[in-house]
Amino acid sequence: MNRDEPSGPIVRAAGLVKTHRPEGAAPVPAVRGVDLCIERGEFVAVTGPSGAGKSTLLHLLGGLDRPDSGALWLDGRRVDAYREARWAELRRNHIGIVFQFFNLVSNLSVADNVELPALLAGRSPRQARTDRAELLDELGLTGKENCTPGELSGGEQQRVALARALVNAPSLLLADEPAGSLDSKGTREVLRLLARFHGRGQTILLVTHDARMASAADRVISFYDGQVADDAHLGGSRNRPPAGVADVLKLQG
Amino acid sequence: MRLPLLALLVSGPAHGYELKQALENLLGAAYPQPNVGQIYVTLGRLEKTGLIEGEDVEQSDRPNKRIYRITAAGRETVDAWFEESTAEPRVRDEFFMKLALAPHTGTADQIALINKQRRHYLNTMRDLSKLAAAEDRDNRVAQLLIEGAMLHLQADLDWLERCQEELE
Amino acid sequence: MLIVLATAGITITLLLATALFAYATDPWQRVFTQSSGAHVWIHTRAGTAAGSLAGLDEVRATSGPFRTVRATAGLQPGGARATLELRGTAQRPTTAAPQIVAGRWLDADTDAGASPGIVLDSSVARAMWAKPGDSLVLSGIAAHLRVVGVADTAEAGFRAGESPGAAWVLPTTLAASDAGGDQRGRTIGLQLSDPADTDYVVQRAVTRLGADQITDVSTWRQAKAAAEGDNQLLGRLLGLFGLGALLAAALAVGGAISTRVRAHLRDISILKAIGFTPGQVVRMFLALHLGLALGGVALGALLAQALGTLVPGRIGDAMALWRQLPEHAWLPWAISGGVVAFIGSATCLAAWRAGRVPPVPVARAVTATGGRATGLTRRALGLRIPPALVLGWRGAFHRPLRSSAAVARLAVPLLLITIALGTWTTLDRFTSHPETVGLPAALTARSDTLGERELRPLLTSRPGVTAYPGAEVQALVPGQTGTITLRGLGTEAHPYPFAVVEGRAAHGPDEAIAGQGLLDLLDAHVGDWVRMTVAGHPHVLHIVGRTIETADAGRVVSTTLDTLRDDDTTGATSAGSPSPRPDFYHLVLPHGVDPGVVRDALTKASAGRLEVREIPNPAEQLTAVRAVAIGLIAVLVLIGLAELATTIGAGVRDRSRDLLALKAVGLTPRQITAVIVSATAFVTLAAALAGTALGLLAAEWLINLQGRTSGWGTGIAQCPAPAVLLLVIAVAVTIAAAASLLPAARAARRRLADSASAVL
Repeated sequence: MNRDEPSGPIVRAAGLVKTHRPEGAAPVPAVRGVDLCIERGEFVAVTGPSGAGKSTLLHLLGGLDRPDSGALWLDGRRVDAYREARWAELRRNHIGIVFQFFNLVSNLSVADNVELPALLAGRSPRQARTDRAELLDELGLTGKENCTPGELSGGEQQRVALARALVNAPSLLLADEPAGSLDSKGTREVLRLLARFHGRGQTILLVTHDARMASAADRVISFYDGQVADDAHLGGSRNRPPAGVADVLKLQG
Repeated sequence: MRLPLLALLVSGPAHGYELKQALENLLGAAYPQPNVGQIYVTLGRLEKTGLIEGEDVEQSDRPNKRIYRITAAGRETVDAWFEESTAEPRVRDEFFMKLALAPHTGTADQIALINKQRRHYLNTMRDLSKLAAAEDRDNRVAQLLIEGAMLHLQADLDWLERCQEELE
Repeated sequence: MLIVLATAGITITLLLATALFAYATDPWQRVFTQSSGAHVWIHTRAGTAAGSLAGLDEVRATSGPFRTVRATAGLQPGGARATLELRGTAQRPTTAAPQIVAGRWLDADTDAGASPGIVLDSSVARAMWAKPGDSLVLSGIAAHLRVVGVADTAEAGFRAGESPGAAWVLPTTLAASDAGGDQRGRTIGLQLSDPADTDYVVQRAVTRLGADQITDVSTWRQAKAAAEGDNQLLGRLLGLFGLGALLAAALAVGGAISTRVRAHLRDISILKAIGFTPGQVVRMFLALHLGLALGGVALGALLAQALGTLVPGRIGDAMALWRQLPEHAWLPWAISGGVVAFIGSATCLAAWRAGRVPPVPVARAVTATGGRATGLTRRALGLRIPPALVLGWRGAFHRPLRSSAAVARLAVPLLLITIALGTWTTLDRFTSHPETVGLPAALTARSDTLGERELRPLLTSRPGVTAYPGAEVQALVPGQTGTITLRGLGTEAHPYPFAVVEGRAAHGPDEAIAGQGLLDLLDAHVGDWVRMTVAGHPHVLHIVGRTIETADAGRVVSTTLDTLRDDDTTGATSAGSPSPRPDFYHLVLPHGVDPGVVRDALTKASAGRLEVREIPNPAEQLTAVRAVAIGLIAVLVLIGLAELATTIGAGVRDRSRDLLALKAVGLTPRQITAVIVSATAFVTLAAALAGTALGLLAAEWLINLQGRTSGWGTGIAQCPAPAVLLLVIAVAVTIAAAASLLPAARAARRRLADSASAVL
């Protein structure tokens, strides 16, 4: 995939359907016919109540789950029929994923974790090391190369996870509630980093229930009950002055 | 603005302009600046009710400045203000009425209303984020104010979700 | 549920193994019980009212009384001779019933008359090399007797020159003997209700019958002691095994239990959050698992007792026999109790740990820190080693404490298996290379009628057969009441290939080599001078070496024939007497030659005047023990598999935590499976290497220790060949990899929704 050539949207989904069938319980329709189109460089947030199917949608886009029906194109390639092994390769090179928990291999050091995708993708060790050093520096984690994930705070772990997801310069970054288990400081950090990478042209799909994180995106898709309820581009009309606190709160006294 | 001005005068006498400055510094750029005229009007009212007392000061080549000092009654009022718990409706909401009445008109669509309102909230949130980034990090009070607004917005957005769930 | 079944299985196998072990290593007891043996045998003169002893209170049953005739028997052809005590009996006695091992019992119709039949006791049959179909010439009986059967008894066996061997004939045959009055007698066997009354009963019998009427008395204790000697060595080894297997089993179950604790951490912390105190949690846990263990043990014991006899083959016989053994009263209880105790202690440890689980179900995303992370992983990945192997290695050895525990638990069964293999190889060495364990000669030949000049060419006529002259005398040593054997074999010119393991061979005059048993007896070491008396003449010998001596519990001193004869004749007054002839010749055969063939050929060539016997190889009596070794290995394999299951379960659970990350990074499901499989394989490899290495050391030490204490001497241990050990290691790793394949594949394909909650 050559990113310099503009060749259509990065993600195009048509009629994706996924129903969970847990054992011994009624089937749960998670995604019920979703059409989606994400352009290069867009920062899309998907919000909605819990249980609406946002995470499932993200898993479908990342190949961690297979749709029951519907079509999915990633950068022009039809991928919904790929086998797991093929998806794995795709994830190695073109998709970066950050989850809420369990992002890092628990028995490898930070440096190992970040370099693993690079080495898997076939980069030379030296190249991988350079990339890793750059990213960790960018994220403010120099000095923690040899720590294991268990020694890091939640916020630091998520930053390492971001580094791990971005080390191969993926076309698409998928983030599933990346700040879900962090305190407000950690949330701010993650937000800042996402905005920074978005500013450099990274395409990001963010699933979140935090309105603050969602508002950082260009485009917010409201997901309700397995379907897209609203697809809003933020900051569109600039004919009003920017809102302030007074638009929300009126201080009495 | 009555009580904030009274509270500012507890620490010592000041004139109108100083009080304006103090109010601005309190909340920083987060909240709209207080109107100078409004301040003087409020001060006048406070003086009339005897909670503060004013005193003119001679100035050489400028009009006289009036210095205000808090009275005992003023102090009591301030103390009483801090004592009592603030129990007032927090939210003034016009949207919900629209939502509730939409089915009756037959022309307005509830879901469209909700979506529109959500977009508005998100845009506001976005602007508030920018404001928080622009504001000085060390001005804790200002940052707290902005965060408070954002939390309210989050609550509003959550309420919208609940409305969507129930009314659909 | 699994724990109950596992415990039951382990208990059953242990009980069966013990039964088999008892069956195999105490043949005397087996025969005694099977034949419903007599505790006391009284041999009297003819005409004594031996039957009156049946009236004694302590006597429960009697065997006989039999009319007996003492006779000398000679095997035709061959000439092997032995003294027999012929007992006349029409049917097989019910008490002390001889157990037929070859041929059949006497038949009243066919075995009377012209060609009478005789059943020999197995010890005398062995000594004479008689088998069913052979013909015996007895002194005092005109007709040749036909051997129709060989039977085992629980009596003290035939000892050349000491006690005659028992033999049974029909009363008519006995009547046909023209033996004199002093050859005739009566024999009665008394079975007592309480074996402890033996001495008392003997006293009563002597008093009742009169001491002058009694020719010989023998008790079951003497018989048992006589039979015991050879089986001690490996019997004790296997006893140690049993303990080791018990330990391994307990470790396995303990490991399984502690893994269960870890699997239920969340439940335990919820219990604590609800309000259970740590003490209550511990007690609940103990009660639950001890209950399960007890249930399993009880189930296993019951099944073993009830169904054990139904198992076909030797195991069934062993169980049936075991019921009747005196140890049966307490041994199953002891074993069950031992299993429960070991499992209980393992459970206590796990329960204590359960009590310490924090009441907050901490998301296990925060793992404890492991070993210091180095750049090895990256370097390895950079070198294009498959990522699955690298990640598997990290996963296996990341937590040094936990992984060494897992390795240790897996290594124990492998260690014991190595010891079992070592024992097997040692046994093999006895049969394939007997010259290395002090048994270079397979045959011994003697003749009363042939002179040395005729013997020599006869013995050397066969190709490859080397004959060494020898003589044996009994010697007294200071401070000992029993005698030791002084043996002279080979000459200065033609030395006997002793298996010298310490020091050197004896060369000059007065030099000798001794067995360990002798050194222990005299508290001597290699290099000492020892003094002994032979027929009144003192001998002083310099012990220059130690040899492996399997005969007579190692209490043998060997030297050259010249030395023996020199010493003998120093005190003799007759000068110029011809060089003494050797008493016997040991024949060393080339490899692969069947001793039986050579024996028959020599006997034929000498027209029956040469008596050729096989030198018993202790390994032959211990072949039954091989079966026990196999059984034990099977038990250990089972235990090892249980341990493996635990390790695999723990490994899968650990790796599941990283499942999301691994998938996100882009490892294919096959690679993720490979990570788990390789982690298990690495742990098993480490365990196999450790187990076999330690097992080799332990086997050698143990076997030599047993050799030393039994008097044979150290140096008998033979370690299994490296190829065998490598095979064991390879098989272990392969089994581990194969067993982990399915759970790993299942874990790798697990749905993401499950993995997040499963690990929390």
